[in-house]
Amino acid sequence: MTKKIKLKISARLVKKRSRRAGGNRSKMCRFCSEKEQVHSIDYKNATFLKGFLTERGKILPSRISGACARHQRCISQEIRKARVMALLPYSGLAF
Amino acid sequence: MMQKYEALLLATPEITGDEAKDLEMQLDKVIKAGAGSTISFERWGKYKLAYDINKSEYGVYYLMRFEAPKRTTLINDMKTYMSVKLNHIIMRDMISCIDPKAPLTYQRPRSLEEAPAREEGFSRDARSGASYFSAADRNELDEE
Repeated sequence: MTKKIKLKISARLVKKRSRRAGGNRSKMCRFCSEKEQVHSIDYKNATFLKGFLTERGKILPSRISGACARHQRCISQEIRKARVMALLPYSGLAF
Repeated sequence: MMQKYEALLLATPEITGDEAKDLEMQLDKVIKAGAGSTISFERWGKYKLAYDINKSEYGVYYLMRFEAPKRTTLINDMKTYMSVKLNHIIMRDMISCIDPKAPLTYQRPRSLEEAPAREEGFSRDARSGASYFSAADRNELDEE
């Protein structure tokens, strides 16, 4: 009996691990690994920043955007600046 | 010590060429009065705004770059000047410091004049931004 239970648990663990490794996302922040990309985080570059918004215009969390805390802060600051200048929407579907 | 600044101005879509020249002259005067100097004044073109401002859907952007001494009152003077005297032309303005390490080149979204008949949805360029997020992820976030 005990053996069976152990087998069950291990099968679940294997599944869990495969789920975790499933995404092809890299762990490194891409702005840390490629320093030149940092300069493209700019409130004037709205086409680039648009990639960090949801369809509704919300800012993507770092857990999805993959940016480290420092660069996520840069991104959100620049998005907020772009919103003031009407380059990006505050909410709703634009463009 | 001199510091480089840039001002992004959003003007009304009805702005004429003469008005734009006048605008440049006036701002240049303000900057010179504050012991600074203008570096460049560029017209981005006409854009469709992300949301309506003063009941207009469109706007014209101008980017002005200038140099001014550090710890100056010039920035405040410019902001006051724009909000009081150029109130009828300028809808929004943003003045920010330029990072001396960053390159002076920049990218901007395409204006309506450059791409006339391009009415697209909220689509993402494959090269720009975080295009590798799945649509399901985004929907999930919106539902939260």
